[in-house]
Amino acid sequence: MSTAQGPGWYEIRLQGRLDERWAAWFDGMTIEPAPGGVTVLRGPVVDQAALHGVLARVHDLGVPLISVKPTGEDSGR
Amino acid sequence: MVDALVETKLLQPRPRREAVQRPRLAALLRHATDLPVTVVSAPAGFGKTTLLASWLSTTEVPTAWVSLDARDRAAASFWPYVLTALDRAVLGSGAAAALALFGSGQAAIETVLAGVVNELSVHDGDLVLVLDDYHFADGPEVTEGMTFLVEHLPPQLHLVVSTRADPGLPLPRLRARGELVEVRATDLRFDGDEVAAYLNDLNGLGLPAEAVAALETRTEGWVAALQLAVLSLRDRSDAAGFIDRFAGDDRFVVDYLVDEVLDRQPDSVRRFLLDTSVLERLTGTLCDALLDDAASNSPGAGRAMLDLLDRQNLFVVPLDDHRRWYRYHHLFGHVLRAHLLQERPGDVPELHRRASSWYAANGDVEEAVRHALTAGDLGAAADLVERAVPDLRRLRRESVIRRWVDDLPDDVLVDRPALAMGLVGGLMASNDFAGVEDRLRAVEATVTRPGSELVVVDQAEFDRIPAAIEMYRAALALVGGDPETAVARAARAIDAAPADDDLTPPAAAGISGLASWTMGDVVAAHASYVTAAAGLASAGYVADVLGCSLTIADMELTLGRLGDAEATLRGALELAERNSPVGGVLRGTADMLVALSRIAWHRDDMAAAADLVRRADDLGEAAGLPQNPYRWRVAMARVRAAERDWTGALELVDDAVRVYVGDFSPPVHPLHATRARLLAAAGDLDAAAAWAREHGLSAEDDLSYLREYEHLTFARILLAQHRTGGDENALRDARALLDRLFEAAEAGSRTGTVLEVEVLRALARHASGDDTDAALESLDHAVELAEPQGWVRFLLDSGPGVGELLVMLAGRRPHAAFVRDLIARRVDEPAARSTGSRPAVGPQPIPTTPAASEPPGRLLDPLSDRELDVLRLLASDLDGPSIARELVVSLNTVRTHTKHVYSKLGVNSRRAAVSRAHQLGLLGRGSRAGRS
Repeated sequence: MSTAQGPGWYEIRLQGRLDERWAAWFDGMTIEPAPGGVTVLRGPVVDQAALHGVLARVHDLGVPLISVKPTGEDSGR
Repeated sequence: MVDALVETKLLQPRPRREAVQRPRLAALLRHATDLPVTVVSAPAGFGKTTLLASWLSTTEVPTAWVSLDARDRAAASFWPYVLTALDRAVLGSGAAAALALFGSGQAAIETVLAGVVNELSVHDGDLVLVLDDYHFADGPEVTEGMTFLVEHLPPQLHLVVSTRADPGLPLPRLRARGELVEVRATDLRFDGDEVAAYLNDLNGLGLPAEAVAALETRTEGWVAALQLAVLSLRDRSDAAGFIDRFAGDDRFVVDYLVDEVLDRQPDSVRRFLLDTSVLERLTGTLCDALLDDAASNSPGAGRAMLDLLDRQNLFVVPLDDHRRWYRYHHLFGHVLRAHLLQERPGDVPELHRRASSWYAANGDVEEAVRHALTAGDLGAAADLVERAVPDLRRLRRESVIRRWVDDLPDDVLVDRPALAMGLVGGLMASNDFAGVEDRLRAVEATVTRPGSELVVVDQAEFDRIPAAIEMYRAALALVGGDPETAVARAARAIDAAPADDDLTPPAAAGISGLASWTMGDVVAAHASYVTAAAGLASAGYVADVLGCSLTIADMELTLGRLGDAEATLRGALELAERNSPVGGVLRGTADMLVALSRIAWHRDDMAAAADLVRRADDLGEAAGLPQNPYRWRVAMARVRAAERDWTGALELVDDAVRVYVGDFSPPVHPLHATRARLLAAAGDLDAAAAWAREHGLSAEDDLSYLREYEHLTFARILLAQHRTGGDENALRDARALLDRLFEAAEAGSRTGTVLEVEVLRALARHASGDDTDAALESLDHAVELAEPQGWVRFLLDSGPGVGELLVMLAGRRPHAAFVRDLIARRVDEPAARSTGSRPAVGPQPIPTTPAASEPPGRLLDPLSDRELDVLRLLASDLDGPSIARELVVSLNTVRTHTKHVYSKLGVNSRRAAVSRAHQLGLLGRGSRAGRS
């Protein structure tokens, strides 16, 4: 859990397929579709405040949130 | 225009004329006016605001509505809106006074809200407070006060919160007790019948049951999605095909539908939607400013487009009744911005720059700065802030400057010394002193660089930098407990100020005055304050002049200049009246009347003293500074004490303690000492002695001006102890203390104090029995000082025995009319003397004060005994339910009595009722009459 406080990569899974265009809105995170109509946001997050910022944007859109997980750099790419 | 925007935040939205009837939700909300708190919690686009608007249209309960936005996370923004909304919804809610108190920055939020809670707890009738979009405000700053409010909600007040995320409020307890109404996303989702009603009945789409079911499943009853679906289906020939494609797609529902809707719009509409999506609020000319020149060739294009969007129900929400201001529905706004960011990311900064220019040209500098910052244009933001600082300072809105401190990084300030100093002003005004000295040093370094390297927008602000640095250092020294340095620095600030700087010299003089005052140099402090007041007056800071005048008059009394003090206050009163708004009263006017009442009291003109307090009260809450409630009670207590109504006077002083609000002045007349003086005069020497012990007073104390009033009070107590108990030690202590007080006061030219001390010394010397000549010498000195200025009260109420001495003095000075007048005013004295110098205790109004108060019988419709009981409890700290418990009646009964009391007294608030009751003498005397 070395990424829990400081900078690190995160994977955020959402219910519903989000268009690529949302990449800019989510501050440069990559957006990839996953099976079952799921969208995965992946990217670097500088700290907890930035992570909460991303989650707030998810909340603003009303997209259901499935999971948030710290990952190793570039994992899954 | 800015005011119009504020109005939009307090406007309760009208219910939609055409809406699906949702009886199950109406049933849920039926309890919202019975239970304390209602929370409507669901994501964006679930129809929370629509639901509340339609519910409120079915209730008769007065409503205070606040639409919150991102700025309201700051308590300084949040509470003024909430208190203003409450004030407008209910006359006499106490919110106006709370607003003034909050604005003074001198009271904790709990104190501010307690006043409102107390007022509302006896209010006749219910009130709903709606906080719409509370998630914007939900944060540590606002939660502190909101938690207090929720925990102390009076039964009349019903809090309704709509939010996208559950608020950080203490709700579990309410939930456990069944005192919380909750409406959540599950409740808000449209069920099958509601979807059918929405699509077919309301929007006339004529869809078959399978199509309705497919849309319900795909949107999960989310009304925002249904609304988009309607826009997509309108005028479409192939409805079934569209629904099939939509149902079979797994894209995020809003994303899919907004694409559909946008694709069907003409290019001009699409472009308008995306361009203006950067705005938080939209109005015609602002939109014009954002559009490309080609598109906005025709003036009014923006307005026309907004009308079109409104008519077609395309994403916009009107914010006012005239449909001048709109915003995008939050959810759709996000989607539009995402489209803009994807399609034309390079245009976004320019759009914000244009918005910034429009706001700057239209006088809303806060929004202008916000857009400039969002555009990443720090230079423009810095220019705007630098130009805005002088006005914000003049308007006392330094909290806005304070917020910008965090937005403007240090590397912007490196070349901008005037801006850096402006921010220092914002920090100082917010009592935020940490780091200020570093900033001042940085500015000092900057101004030594060649002018060509510096950015200066406001030359006048640049020119006053050296003086301002000294001034702020003076203030820092004063705050840091070094008044000598403060005085020296303030003098340098005044010397360094350029000729056209109308702010630094008076501000520095004010700091110097405060520093001198703290050191007990009243003469120097007075001179500085007079300079400050004159400078502030010519620069147009009227409110500050009024505050200064109170201090100046206070010092003039200490200096023995009763006539000057009166002239100062009369001048300030005229200034206040000249500057009062049409049909209104300038805040601070009441304070001048209350201070003038003290002058009349000193002159023993009790009718005038009582009349001035009454006039101050008649002006209402809005006429008083935040300190006025306690000052008023002290003034009234003086009047009561002069009538020897000690109970009434003590009650008033206790009440003053309760409503006490400090200011920047050192507390030279602390309320606890005033209370002790009253106790001693009333003969309760045990309590008075306890006060002296509690405050560690002794005759050997080092003397300082700041504790002079306490030591004078202590001397009075010692004299009373000797008088009643023959305590020779007390007398010896009193004599020693008074001699030292005399020297200190003479050395400091505090003639007012000398006068008071001399009367007490006369009593002390006389009490020793062997020193009548010395006693008469002191009294003679006092009379000499008193006569030209008309001081009377010190000679009347310094204790029994003065009358006897005055008679002896008259014998030696047969032509002294003043002395004979004093003797005549002490008609109660012979009685006291005939019974052996015992203090006269109890209600024995002296006959020279017939008009000081009207007897209770003067009310056209006298209060009943029960109403008097309620009135007495209204004067206490108890809230409505506690009053009901105390009287063993229902809360409704309390409300009915309260209503009668208000109407008989001709007032509309608890505070006004208590004030009026004091004026009419209903409280002190009424309570004794009630018990006998």
